[in-house]
Amino acid sequence: MRRYPLRIEQLNRLFLLLGLSLLAGLGLYAHLSLERVAGVKRQEEAAMAQREIAAAVAALEQRLKAIAQQLAAWDETRQHLANPEYYVLWRDGRVRETGLVPASMQVALYRPNGRILARDPQWAMPEALPDTGAGRARLQTAQGRTLLYYVFPVRVHADVEIVLGHAVLRLDPIAELRRHGPYRFVNADSLYLNAPDGTRLDVADLSRHIAFDPLPNPALDALLAEARGLTMVAIALALLLLLFVMRLQRLLLTRPLRRLTADIAALRDAPTSDVAPIGAQPYRLLELEQLKQAFADYRQRLNALLREMRHTSDRFYRQARQDGLTGVHNRRAFDEDRQQLEQDKRVSRCVLLLFDCDHFKAINDTYGHPVGDAVIRGLAQCLTQALRADDRLYRLGGDEFATLMPGAEIDTALKVAERCLEQVQRHDFRQYGVHEPISISIGLAHGVAPIDLIELHKQADLAMYAAKQPGHAKIVVYDDALGDLASLVHNRDVSAVYEAIRQPALIAFRYQPVVSLPALQREYVEALCRIEYDGQVIGPAAIFAIVQARRLDVEFDLAVIRAIRRDLAAGLPELRQGVSINLSGPGVVSDKVIQALIELKGDHPACKIVVEITETALITQLAVATANIERLRQAGCQVALDDFGSGYSSLRYLVNMPVDMVKFDMALIHLLIKGDPRQALLVEDIAEIVVTAGYALVAEGVENETLLAKVKALGFGYAQGYHLDALQERSQPDAIATA
Amino acid sequence: MRRSTQAHIACLFWLASLCNTPALAELVTLQLKPGLTARAEYQRGAAEKPAVLILHGFLQTYTFPTVHNLANGLARAGYSVLTPTLSLGVTHRDRSLPCEAVHTHTVEGNRRELDAWLAWLRARGHQRVVLIGHSLGSAELLLYLHAHRPRDVTRFIAVSLVESRPFEGKVDNTAFVRAQREKLSRGDKRPEAYPLSFCKRFVAPPQPFISYLSITPERLLQAARTLRIPALFIMGGGDNRLGEGWIERLQRTGQRVAVIPGANHFLDGEHEFDLLDLVLEALKAAA
Repeated sequence: MRRYPLRIEQLNRLFLLLGLSLLAGLGLYAHLSLERVAGVKRQEEAAMAQREIAAAVAALEQRLKAIAQQLAAWDETRQHLANPEYYVLWRDGRVRETGLVPASMQVALYRPNGRILARDPQWAMPEALPDTGAGRARLQTAQGRTLLYYVFPVRVHADVEIVLGHAVLRLDPIAELRRHGPYRFVNADSLYLNAPDGTRLDVADLSRHIAFDPLPNPALDALLAEARGLTMVAIALALLLLLFVMRLQRLLLTRPLRRLTADIAALRDAPTSDVAPIGAQPYRLLELEQLKQAFADYRQRLNALLREMRHTSDRFYRQARQDGLTGVHNRRAFDEDRQQLEQDKRVSRCVLLLFDCDHFKAINDTYGHPVGDAVIRGLAQCLTQALRADDRLYRLGGDEFATLMPGAEIDTALKVAERCLEQVQRHDFRQYGVHEPISISIGLAHGVAPIDLIELHKQADLAMYAAKQPGHAKIVVYDDALGDLASLVHNRDVSAVYEAIRQPALIAFRYQPVVSLPALQREYVEALCRIEYDGQVIGPAAIFAIVQARRLDVEFDLAVIRAIRRDLAAGLPELRQGVSINLSGPGVVSDKVIQALIELKGDHPACKIVVEITETALITQLAVATANIERLRQAGCQVALDDFGSGYSSLRYLVNMPVDMVKFDMALIHLLIKGDPRQALLVEDIAEIVVTAGYALVAEGVENETLLAKVKALGFGYAQGYHLDALQERSQPDAIATA
Repeated sequence: MRRSTQAHIACLFWLASLCNTPALAELVTLQLKPGLTARAEYQRGAAEKPAVLILHGFLQTYTFPTVHNLANGLARAGYSVLTPTLSLGVTHRDRSLPCEAVHTHTVEGNRRELDAWLAWLRARGHQRVVLIGHSLGSAELLLYLHAHRPRDVTRFIAVSLVESRPFEGKVDNTAFVRAQREKLSRGDKRPEAYPLSFCKRFVAPPQPFISYLSITPERLLQAARTLRIPALFIMGGGDNRLGEGWIERLQRTGQRVAVIPGANHFLDGEHEFDLLDLVLEALKAAA
């Protein structure tokens, strides 16, 4: 059976019911006991009454015998039996005078022949001696009553058996029995003879013919009534007591308990609310009062604890949502606010700003983490100062910050973004030991209800990435034109990049031949990587956008080196002359990458390995880069400065780093025929300088014969491009490796 | 000796006398007439001694202590003693008749019973009889002797002879007797109550009254004076049932009167022995 806790009210009712049942049971038991006792008593009294009657009859018999004996022995009886001359006088006078025969009885003398000595008109004594049969008595109805005739002989003397005659005593036995009383158990008034007329019997047998009603026992009745009354009173008192106890229990126990329970429940439901004091008035029961006080104390302590916990929780909450480095809100706070904002129906529009420090990894790697942290703190300070008072600055991670502007117009957000940019630009980061200028890229995305901040985040991310691109404004508002950069945040491409880093087998190369000029002989091939992932081919633009965005330069460089090693190990024919590997700026200063290249060269000493360092990579540690380049060259590698003219500090790099070749960016090459003459002239002069400086010059993007001729004319030693790919295919169909 | 002590001694003797009842005492009956039988106690003694017939007082029986004790004492002395109970009209009477009973007996009837008992004694071979009477019994015997003069009665002893006056001093019964005679002559036999002897209310029809009231002091004194046999009148000096001067009047009859000083009418207690002594002495003289 399932058990469940009882409510105290149910328990009270149960107790009341049990109490009432017990009282009813006791009352019934008392009543039945009394009735039983009364019954037994009445039975006893009936038996006593019967014995009483029997005793009365026995006493009557004894009286009759005594009277008869006395009468028989009385000289005067014999006298008048012998000489009845004065019998009537004797019968009516002497007999009464002596009291020998009670007045209630009548006596008559009968001759030996059974005839009465003298008629008795008053009492109508039978003239003939009544026939009593074997007994001494006879019942006979006379004068409307049943009378008993007691017959006895009168002898001449007690010692002589000669019967002089008989004497008859007549009496009303019932009257005599009544006179015998008072009876304790017999209702004398109810006595009556239940015998037919003419019954002959012994007096002793008379009791068998006597019917009667027992006397009521007033004492017993009174006692029973009293007992019943007492029982009722006791039950009533017990009931009153029960009700009183229930009432008392209700006042002292149930109500306080229920109040206490309600208060505890209220506290459970609203643990921090100020519940009304538990029973302003003290409880009457000491234990309950103590319990109440203890509970009140406990609640106070609980409240205090809750307050402390709340305070601590708030502190933790703040700490959990505060960036430890900068003190601004952290990613968790950003996510929570974002979710809250999305659910806020009152917000009809919102602008998301993402701030990212340009080249922060390089700065961190160059100056160390303490300086990096200081730069981050400085950026946070600048942004906080630039933002509006109500704007929250979130540090999403690393060098990325964000702010949400619910309800703001894009123009307002742009102004704020510009202010932020200016603030950063004005801030002196040199105090932290950074010599390079610190800049940020800001991406903005705005939307209307229903606000999808995740989408806005992606868009702002794209905008921010666009802002990072060379030649782009540092503040970019997302528009659909930035959709091409979606791959930056495309999950599939990102996954592919990460997977390719983990599994270089996913990296494939289109080996573009680099031919010597003017012979157009393949010198080596440039490994243009792509990733084959999930049935899709991810091109270099998407790959490197992700690599740079995710700062996976070193990892991807290593993966590329492993892939090149794979292909070299596979003995791809196109790699027979050699292969150039593009290295990222971080890769140049990475000891791992340099070592991997040295090892690659070491494993393929016959293979020409050219390491192309792209100019677009920010190399902040030129000394390290220079030292690494030297190591590569000492290891037998050649180093080429790639995309010369498209990136940062081209001449500075060329001056400081011991490269072997310089590869002019296709944009510069195209200026030879597409740009204005001054641009073409400038390119020509630069080419001449580089050539004069002794560097081998490689022209990229040779897409037609004109360019080819041009570059030849300028003294480029090498060239690559689609035009040359085609020429190579026609002349050396097995020389071009296709991805 | 204190009276209580005397009484105790008397009781002891009385009890002793009962215990010492002679073994020859027998209850005898005498049918006087059909339906009427008298009872007596007979103790046979020495043949040479005269028989003694002791008659009880008014309405008493032979069991009356004065009579019974005297009888036992005489029997022990060797005398044949007959103590009859006058029937008084009640067959086999062995209890004293109450005063209030309807008395139908008469002095004459009593005399006839005496005759019968004397005849009974004679029939038993007793030639000489001494008559002893107590109280009214002695009066009846005295008048019987005065009237009949039986030859076998050799001596008469009267014990506490009463003068038969009505109880409590009523002397003159003449009118009452006359009234009774008149009733009798009318045939009115309805009993009535009248003081007689010690009975305040003696219930009887006319004839018993007439009979018993004929016993007058004068007749008794006359009978005493003319008594032809030796007689002894034993009186109690303390008998308060006697009239004033009665003992002296008896003494003046010339009969021997023995007064036991201090004895009451019943001569009980220690006077019982005085009585016995006197009787024995008288009997010796009669022997």
